[in-house]
Amino acid sequence: MSSPKMIQRHTRAGIFIHWFNAACWFFLLFTGLALIQNPGLNPLGAWYPGAVRAGFGGGAYLLVAHWLVALIWLAVWVVYLFWGMSRFVAPFLNSTFSLEPNRDIQWMIKKNLQMTLGYKMMAKLVGPLGYDGHLPPQEYYNAGQKLAAQGIIMGALVLIGTGFIMLFSKYFLGAADTWLVQWSITVHFIAAGVTTALLMVHIYMAAISKEERPAFISMFTGTVPAEYAKHHHQLWYEELEEK
Amino acid sequence: MAKQLGMVVDAGLCIDCKGCMAACKVANEVPGDNWRNWIKSGDADWQAKKRGRMVFQPGNCMQCDKPTCVSACPTGATYKSKADGVVVIDRGLCIGCGQCIKACPYGARFRNEKLKVADKCDFCSSRRAVGLEPACVSTCPTKARAFGDLNDPASPAGKLMARNKGKATQVVNAQSNTDPNLYYLGDAGLKSWPVKAQMPGAFEFWKNLADPAVKVVVGLTGLGVLAMLGKQLMLKNDAPPPEEHGEEGGHE
Repeated sequence: MSSPKMIQRHTRAGIFIHWFNAACWFFLLFTGLALIQNPGLNPLGAWYPGAVRAGFGGGAYLLVAHWLVALIWLAVWVVYLFWGMSRFVAPFLNSTFSLEPNRDIQWMIKKNLQMTLGYKMMAKLVGPLGYDGHLPPQEYYNAGQKLAAQGIIMGALVLIGTGFIMLFSKYFLGAADTWLVQWSITVHFIAAGVTTALLMVHIYMAAISKEERPAFISMFTGTVPAEYAKHHHQLWYEELEEK
Repeated sequence: MAKQLGMVVDAGLCIDCKGCMAACKVANEVPGDNWRNWIKSGDADWQAKKRGRMVFQPGNCMQCDKPTCVSACPTGATYKSKADGVVVIDRGLCIGCGQCIKACPYGARFRNEKLKVADKCDFCSSRRAVGLEPACVSTCPTKARAFGDLNDPASPAGKLMARNKGKATQVVNAQSNTDPNLYYLGDAGLKSWPVKAQMPGAFEFWKNLADPAVKVVVGLTGLGVLAMLGKQLMLKNDAPPPEEHGEEGGHE
């Protein structure tokens, strides 16, 4: 048995920032949820903030842990952004923010139907739309990854902005400006909710769905089998072939 | 009955000397223009009565049984203590959003000029911790304010409550009765000043719109993911149509 031909998909820096990001995001989500304690809200029920706060030695410490990790997360990102701007960041933004409507909308419709109903049903349903039963070829990132990346980047920017307002309101806001903090809380919550929904899909696709298993493994090893690249990211594969 | 610290105030005894306000400011290091307590002056009607007079109404946070400030706090930084019924603020957990300030019908809360977080009367918790009465009570020269567990007939306030059963009145806004634990004996003076308790717009939006919407979005996404998982488990051999499997761009 010969081992399959592997191609490089992720750099070490990319792998690091991914898992660093994932760890921080999880921590911030679960501490953030525990920071909400109000009879009218309590997204997970009243027991949740009580239990987490007990673990942190009180709500005040939980709040400190939340913003401390958020600041560390942001600081690492700032370093990564400056250090890797030309190598990683610009290419990433370039590819995730460039959508080709026809191909990518078709891919989104078909992929969702295929993921929930299977290839056969999908082919039946998209037939009347003038589509065939194949997924359009995709670039380094498929349409779903691109939209998720866009949503998460914008969500992160909103979370950072509103988070800063909340954290530093004690230093620069007067009594008349507290409406800004009030709306920041609400918007922070919405942005966290939307990114959580996106991340649920991301985690399913990567870690649970069988089809993308090679992509999941590549988030540790950095490489994907050539066969996988050819089927799942055909345009990227062809680009590599040409080089 | 559970312990509920409160005050019983005889407005008729108040001479508007502001001693309680000064004592409070010193005892609690309340900065600048901030005040934790007040004395409201009623309108004097000198004409109608033979002996015209003015009623002064001392007050402070009323440690309500249905505190709207607590309902407006997103983090639970302000809560009604189970031990003594006082509504307290955890300054470390307060993020200074000011929602509770707007939600109080009495204007009893303010943004502490120095700390930039919500502040209000807590019946002098630091003085109580060493066995003293609240500063305003100790300092009042006419003893207009009585303090203690309202449910304990042995406490100064409880004694007055028991003696004036059904006669002690609360000063409330009828549209949002928060059931305060500050009672007045006799003529309390000005009664119409508490405003209707109001939740800030951002909080209403969150509670009524954003919270359910986010729950629906996350819930539906969860269902979608579960559907995908179900398909993955049921259709084990799901493959694209074979004739073009792996072909490049043939269908584009």
